[in-house]
Amino acid sequence: MLSFIDFLWKSTLAYEGDIVIEMHDVYKVYKNGVKALNGINVKIDQGEFVYVVGPSGAGKSTFIKLMYREEKPTHGVILINGVNVKRVRDWKIPYLRRNIGVVFQDYKLLPNMTAYENVAFAMEAVEAPKRKIKRRVHEMLELVGLYDRMNAYPSQLSGGEQQRVSIARAMVNNPSFLIADEPTGNLDPENSWDIMYLLEEINSRGTTVVMATHNKEIVNTMRKRVIAVEQGVIVRDEEQGEYGYED
Amino acid sequence: MVMKIDTMIRHTREAINSLRRNTWMVFAACSAVAVTLLIFGIFLVFAFNINYLASELDKQVAIRASVSVSATDDDIDQLKGQLEKEPEVKKVTFVPKEEGLKQMKAQWGDDAHFLSGLEEDNPLPDTFVIEAKNPQQTERLAKKIDQNYRLIDHTEYGEGVTDKLLGLSSWVRNMVLVFGLGLAALAAFLISNTIKLTIFARRREIEIMRLVGASNWFIRWPFFIEGGVIGILGAIVPVTVVLVGYNAVVNILEANNAYSFFKLMGMWPLSFYVAGLTTLLGVMIGVWGSLISIRRFLRV
Ligand SMILES: Nc1ncnc2c1ncn2[C@@H]1O[C@H](COP(=O)(O)OP(=O)(O)OP(=O)(O)O)[C@@H](O)[C@H]1O
Ligand SMILES: [Mg+2]
Repeated sequence: MLSFIDFLWKSTLAYEGDIVIEMHDVYKVYKNGVKALNGINVKIDQGEFVYVVGPSGAGKSTFIKLMYREEKPTHGVILINGVNVKRVRDWKIPYLRRNIGVVFQDYKLLPNMTAYENVAFAMEAVEAPKRKIKRRVHEMLELVGLYDRMNAYPSQLSGGEQQRVSIARAMVNNPSFLIADEPTGNLDPENSWDIMYLLEEINSRGTTVVMATHNKEIVNTMRKRVIAVEQGVIVRDEEQGEYGYED
Repeated sequence: MVMKIDTMIRHTREAINSLRRNTWMVFAACSAVAVTLLIFGIFLVFAFNINYLASELDKQVAIRASVSVSATDDDIDQLKGQLEKEPEVKKVTFVPKEEGLKQMKAQWGDDAHFLSGLEEDNPLPDTFVIEAKNPQQTERLAKKIDQNYRLIDHTEYGEGVTDKLLGLSSWVRNMVLVFGLGLAALAAFLISNTIKLTIFARRREIEIMRLVGASNWFIRWPFFIEGGVIGILGAIVPVTVVLVGYNAVVNILEANNAYSFFKLMGMWPLSFYVAGLTTLLGVMIGVWGSLISIRRFLRV
């Protein structure tokens, strides 16, 4: 009995705290035959800030989707804290995802909910205690600078504000890993920089940030680790790297 | 699957909101459930009554063994002991001829005056009323007693009635099973379509829930509840119709002496069973319907 409880404990909480993601010789072939990734080898440590760059169709989004197990690798091994993700049972995947926040180019906010409700929704979905939700949501809205707009609906918010709500939602369950797929893709430079300062702030508090981007200016100004992907392989992986493309 | 009350309330609220959003689909699904359950309910009433009637008749298919007039009181005691030892025998009751006459008078009712005066010179034999452990053994047991016991003149029992009734009952059951299963599948299909609409309407929320790590059960629950509620809603009309109808039939039969041989099960235990079983089946069809959609469209 004790070992069973122990097992449950470990299986639900194995991902709390630091997260180290490793990929060994990872391939991804989609059902339609497209070879999106062709042998990826990489290791991302807790606390890093990583840009993923590369031409359109290079496989950046696919690379990111493998990290939160939205897609499964066709070949190769992905380790999270040394555990082969392929071996993780389907019912445990939600518990893995609780420790990985995700942000998208199109925000994916629920239109019929206010900013507050959108953020709270993420906590309700993981059955967080009610009394904790209010405090934590306020905290997050404060972090992203939208405390005053918490009752606004997404349609009443600018793109930059919507993206900040979506970041608050991604962070509300206190993940140690934040993934962002072109978070500034739909934003003007000013709003993009606001988002970047926010992500840097989040990273400085210890959260790993992995961000796919086409924004040359940002990458070249805010110097971080850069992983360049082309045709499904990593062609460059540098600390304090540059964007390296002309678009 | 331990769940907090908060969570349960939330799931139920989700489910009810969806039900309200798709009124017409819900109405169609409920109607299909109702038709299925109506047939099931009527069948239940029949099945319960046939079983009831059969068991009532079983009580009457006890073997009546007439004791030879030459038997003494000692012989009778001994006979009783021997009969009770037979492995097939459940119960042996001795009915002296005076008692037999009284019973006969009671049965004949108004016409009992034909029997008056017989007390002086009672022509009836003393009898043993013997019940077999298993009604199907009645015939064999009667033959055996007839052949083996010198002091038993002859045996008789009500032949074949029960078997025919039980035969009818199982035939009706098979019919309903085949027919009802088809209807239940149709109802489940309609429910699954309703659920499919809900899943579609909530696809964005579901996407976010998966993304932030809601457990699969958390995502599924509202749909199970929605299906279950459709099942319960679908059970209301058929349960009411069947019970009101049955009550009317029982009243007519009781009011009219011409049918007094036709004894139906009373309202109380029957209405309880019928309502319970029908609603349960409704819920099962509902959950079945949600299961179809959840497996096909939810992928969790
Ligand atoms: N679900 C899918 N099914 C089939 N093919 C896909 C799927 N998703 C992506 N692809 C294909 O896989 C390849 C890599 O796509 P991916 O989205 O990873 O590129 P990307 O680097 O993110 O591009 P972009 O910069 O335009 O976002 C592309 O050829 C794309 O068409
Ligand atoms: Mg992409």
